[in-house]
Amino acid sequence: MLLVPRQLARAGMTGDVPYYGGRLSPAQAYAASHPSARPPGPAQVAATTRTELGAGRPAPGRPVPPAGNQADALLSLQHLLDTGVITPEEYTGLRARLGA
Amino acid sequence: MGPVQILVVGFERPAFSGEVLAEFARLGEAGIVRLVDLLLVSRDHGGTLETVAAPPGLGAELGRLATALLGQPEGAAGDGTAAAGADSAEVAAWSLADAVPPGSAAAVALIEHLWADPLRSAIRRAGGRPLEETWLAAGDVALLETLIARRAG
Repeated sequence: MLLVPRQLARAGMTGDVPYYGGRLSPAQAYAASHPSARPPGPAQVAATTRTELGAGRPAPGRPVPPAGNQADALLSLQHLLDTGVITPEEYTGLRARLGA
Repeated sequence: MGPVQILVVGFERPAFSGEVLAEFARLGEAGIVRLVDLLLVSRDHGGTLETVAAPPGLGAELGRLATALLGQPEGAAGDGTAAAGADSAEVAAWSLADAVPPGSAAAVALIEHLWADPLRSAIRRAGGRPLEETWLAAGDVALLETLIARRAG
């Protein structure tokens, strides 16, 4: 028998979870209206992860990040803390690695 | 009625060994899950969906509830893009056409989670409102298992 499917609403087991339809979620809207903590760009985050956060001290022979990079890394670190990606303990440890 | 899940499972060649139905029977006897209905569908390469007759012995009524729920009423006009409850931009919607690829077959199960009804009621009585609900990906389940094992050890 031919079946012409109809559209059904999605729902969760505990009820209807919010659906933002491609619009900003409340958290994103809040962040947009409170621009004090500037989110890092992808390149910044990648650089931060590879060097300052992930590897600790730069390997011998590798250039030490200039002061401007350290400031960016600190800013990224603060953003990660503010957005709950890292804990305050992790923030403190990583910040110490940066020598700040 | 408890929360009802729709499970769509694709098959290249449907083979009904009875093992899955036996598991549903076991879960039903335990009061955990109830198989409300089971529908078999096939979709041709042009995208047309058709119901497939249930294997002999499973009952002539099998699939009728699911067909009425997931399909448009017989003779209804339209292409299935609008339906009550899913006609607002505020609502995420889906249909069997999204789930079943052309040139394949699928089993569609309506599953009532009997165990979840008291939990859902308790959450509502406590004033809770759903914010997110999803399943963990396999990689995250593996991570969780590692974390649990680490804590136990």
